Amino acid sequence: MNGFPILSVITFLPILGMIIVLSMPKEKNREVKIATLVITILQVILAVILLANFNYSLGGINDPKSFQFVEKFRWIEIPGISWIGTFKVDYYLGVDGLSMAMVLLTAIVTFIATLSSWTINKSVKGYFALFLLLDTAMMGVFVALDFFLFYIFWELMLLPMYFLIGIWGGPRKEYAAIKFFIYTLVGSVLMLLVMIGLYFSAKETLADGSQVYTFNLLALMNPKNYTHTGLLSPLNADNIRLIAYIGLFIGFAIKIPMFPFHTWLPDAHVEAPTPISVILAGVLLKMGTYGILRISYPIFPEITRQLMWYIALFGMINIIYGALVALAQKDFKKLIAYSSVSHMGYVLLGMASLSAVGINGAIFQMFNHGTITAMLFLIVGVVYDRAHTRGIYDFGGLATQMPVYTGVVIVAFFAAIGLPSLSGFISEALVFFGAFAVTTTRTLAIISTLGILLGAAYMLWTLQRIYFGKLNEKWANMKDLDLREIVMFVPLMIIVIYLGIYPSAMLNLLHASVAHLTNFMAQHAQSFLISSL
Amino acid sequence: MIHVSLTHYLVVSAFLFSFGLYGVVTRKNAVMVLMGIELILNSANINFVAFSKFGNYGLNGQIMALFVIILAAAEAAIALAIVLNIYKTFAHVDVDKINNLKE
Amino acid sequence: MNIANFSQMLSFIKPELAVSVTILVVVVFDLIFNKNKKIIPYIALLGIVVTGYYVIQQYALSGTAFPTSGKYGMVTVDAFASFFKMIVLIATLCIVIFSYYSDEIIKTQGRLGEYYTLIFGMVLGMFVMISASDLILIYLSMELMSLSSYVLAGFTKLRTRNSEAALKYLIYGAISSGLMLFGISLVYGMTGTTNLYQLNAALQGADVNLYTVGFALILIFAGIGYKISAAPFHFWTPDVYEGAPISITAYLSVASKAAGFALLMRFLKTTFVTYVDPHGSWQLFNIFDWQTLLILISVLTMTLGNFAALWQDNLKRMLAYSSIAHAGYMLLGVLVLTNKGVSAVMFYFFVYLIMNLGAFFVVMIIANKIGSENIDDYDGLGYSSPFLGVTFGIFLVSLTGLPPTAGFIGKLNLFVALLDKQMVVVAVIAVINSVVSLYYYIRVLKHMFLTKRDEKISIPVPMPAFLFILVMATTTIFFGIYFTPITSWAQNAAAILHF
Repeated sequence: MNGFPILSVITFLPILGMIIVLSMPKEKNREVKIATLVITILQVILAVILLANFNYSLGGINDPKSFQFVEKFRWIEIPGISWIGTFKVDYYLGVDGLSMAMVLLTAIVTFIATLSSWTINKSVKGYFALFLLLDTAMMGVFVALDFFLFYIFWELMLLPMYFLIGIWGGPRKEYAAIKFFIYTLVGSVLMLLVMIGLYFSAKETLADGSQVYTFNLLALMNPKNYTHTGLLSPLNADNIRLIAYIGLFIGFAIKIPMFPFHTWLPDAHVEAPTPISVILAGVLLKMGTYGILRISYPIFPEITRQLMWYIALFGMINIIYGALVALAQKDFKKLIAYSSVSHMGYVLLGMASLSAVGINGAIFQMFNHGTITAMLFLIVGVVYDRAHTRGIYDFGGLATQMPVYTGVVIVAFFAAIGLPSLSGFISEALVFFGAFAVTTTRTLAIISTLGILLGAAYMLWTLQRIYFGKLNEKWANMKDLDLREIVMFVPLMIIVIYLGIYPSAMLNLLHASVAHLTNFMAQHAQSFLISSL
Repeated sequence: MIHVSLTHYLVVSAFLFSFGLYGVVTRKNAVMVLMGIELILNSANINFVAFSKFGNYGLNGQIMALFVIILAAAEAAIALAIVLNIYKTFAHVDVDKINNLKE
Repeated sequence: MNIANFSQMLSFIKPELAVSVTILVVVVFDLIFNKNKKIIPYIALLGIVVTGYYVIQQYALSGTAFPTSGKYGMVTVDAFASFFKMIVLIATLCIVIFSYYSDEIIKTQGRLGEYYTLIFGMVLGMFVMISASDLILIYLSMELMSLSSYVLAGFTKLRTRNSEAALKYLIYGAISSGLMLFGISLVYGMTGTTNLYQLNAALQGADVNLYTVGFALILIFAGIGYKISAAPFHFWTPDVYEGAPISITAYLSVASKAAGFALLMRFLKTTFVTYVDPHGSWQLFNIFDWQTLLILISVLTMTLGNFAALWQDNLKRMLAYSSIAHAGYMLLGVLVLTNKGVSAVMFYFFVYLIMNLGAFFVVMIIANKIGSENIDDYDGLGYSSPFLGVTFGIFLVSLTGLPPTAGFIGKLNLFVALLDKQMVVVAVIAVINSVVSLYYYIRVLKHMFLTKRDEKISIPVPMPAFLFILVMATTTIFFGIYFTPITSWAQNAAAILHF
């Protein structure tokens, strides 16, 4: 892997694809789809190559030496400014266990979403160009190690998503697109403010010994780098780190989406076309929790420790509230959307425990939720494509009509409920172990177990309504899955079952990074606090 | 015989300024508004000349006053041309009624 | 004053001389070649190129010329002035291209000579404004610019709205310049000088009445605030922008605003700063609290501009309110009173020039064809003319300030300057404002791409216009990714000459 910029390639390959797609003639819809498919397959292959060359023993997080496939060079440099010294932004990419899992997830989900996009017939060229742009933005967020770069990728995702929902969406697409856009933008401007605040608070020592203000995430994690006068420095007497933390947290929480910032999600999901729902649930929601783990936690360890109970509380609210609202839904897709809210609550709960087990569970849950919810949305897409309705009450007895499909549905639903031997079980169990073991979050963890019960209730109830019982004669002619749809489900099913039986495949990948993160947090929560005295 | 001091000039200019501002704010006829503006300009002119004379500040102030007079004439020429144009299109010059642009 | 000295001083105003010569040449050609007006835009282009050459030549020059009394002159030349003159020139260049393709201007072909004479009259006024370091010259240059622009605002006389725009512009402009003149007379009375450098010393030393100074300075600010359309002196902006020919609207929104900002920053720095500390922070002497005034005005301006823009259905009017809001953002860079703030404003102007003129150009090309700037007439245009739709989208996204466009970097610089002075509350207000602004920019895109219309309208884009839009759009993206040259240019030029 020496010298080959594999992370840049995996990130910017879709941009190349976008240019190819844009230069194709307008009527070549099929060719456009194939080109996109080839690009996403290449991306999966690259991700697998990355995984094969990944060293499982290196931790990453705050240690520049243990990041892998690092690419770092000066992107913008303006020397000799009297009041800043040198202004610099690095093009700094690298992966550790945490981001590796997300890169894999992104590659797989995007590939599946491309297959699912085959049914798109309206302005195909524009759709796939935006789709590929979105792909680059998502990949970029997970591999960037410079805050500035991270922010650019984060924002880059906004516009393609707006148009993908707004042009190819359902009846209330405009409302949903605007709502999505404004919520996300509020979050990202909060993030921008904290980013600028951090920039002026810490100085990084360069190789030549000079000290410059920095956007480098790893440098920002070191309490020694902070200046005395910096706005967000732990040494600053009027400490506003807590406010900054909350601002940044809200920025990420909107994306998760955490109660009470979740209201954009059901609208966006209901209106978005199936592949975009898949991307939204499979990858985009993970960016919120990933951002918290990658940025909020290690940069503000002492405040994280201070607020862990509140994070767990919001996790619990998400779990229970999401499940309760899901129970009341009549629209299949809305139900899945709220189940997402509930499942992301587990991630928050696991993270809040600050224990290795809990965080392992949280990241594992992020991956699992990505694959399982992708399946659930695809399942909704299958019925919607055929019946053009999503009302849970409109169906019944599809099991006899569509046996293969129902088989897939059962696997996905049971994985979502958390049945043992499927991947969802392991991650939820780890989350509860982690949260239960820590005194601060124990009570909340106990209450949250109620969510499993509710989850089982709405899932089984839906299963009963749609797939079993008496066949609704209206749908007697519904066809079972075709080959493309099977191809789209099979990889996800394999992952869900494989990780359910052999979770170590994922846990080994995460282990070093999570251990490093928890150790780092434990040590530095102290040193960040001591230095402020 | 009253000795005319700086204060007298300033009081006159303050009155002119206030009248001018009052005219600008209350008058509806565009020509009257323009006359209000002339009053404001001339109040400043009185200030310039008076300060220049009583403050021993050299001739800067008086030169400024000359410039302002010239500019006021130029401005009046352009303003009246525009008002004429307005009269041709609207058949009146009431500034309150010329509001096609606000919807 | 000997001859050698005089000719050396003339070298300080070479760009202004070049502009004056251009005016004369245009007038003479207009008289001689009465039948063929086609050549006049090319003379204008030539004049711009020659002037540009002299502006660049002046970049390294620094000093003052034409003293009235004492050793400091009325005209100051420094890198700061060159930067803004360059901005004005680039804007003028774009406006010549605008006018070449504008239907409104083409219809008044017979008076093209006057049109360009007036435009260069404005340029001359703005150049002097940027360099002026004497209150007399400031007033005269502002009037020169204003008188030309009053006529230009009502130039075409095609519709009633043209004359209405001219009248409103004239009345508001004349009042504010009258107020400014009265303020200048008071300052002159208290200090005995009109030279900014001498004022600095005089105001520090003299035992002046703070209320009178405050009153006079607010009056002077009224004149400048009118030019940059800062609230509460902004009332003319929407009406004039909507009513004036679109090329003039675009010009007013960029060039005259740039000159106003240059004037404001030079006025503040030369008149009120005692020294600049090593961090580039200005230390003002305690006579008038500029910072509080500017914070109030900036917050008021951006909030008013953004919220009023939300309800607009006419795109020109919407862009007018958006330009008010942008003036508010740019005031953020002034109110911090640091060199960093100045360089942030300068960078923002460069970016604003590209994205705003780009947006206006697209609006003009569309208005040429469909004869309307109403947002409902933009329905589905994204499909029938994808090129215009996409580039307009880029400009609007950049105006919102989203990465990876240049508008984002511009806003980032402003926020950086704010946070550097720990003004968190103002920064938060500004951020909320940019979120609000998103709504009305996106609304246009919504109409263009998400709303369907039945009939198809194809909008012809001539090849050079196509190239112009393409260049503007690509530079908007390009400077969002690689902005180092502009940033360093702005930073090097940010030091306003100061004694």
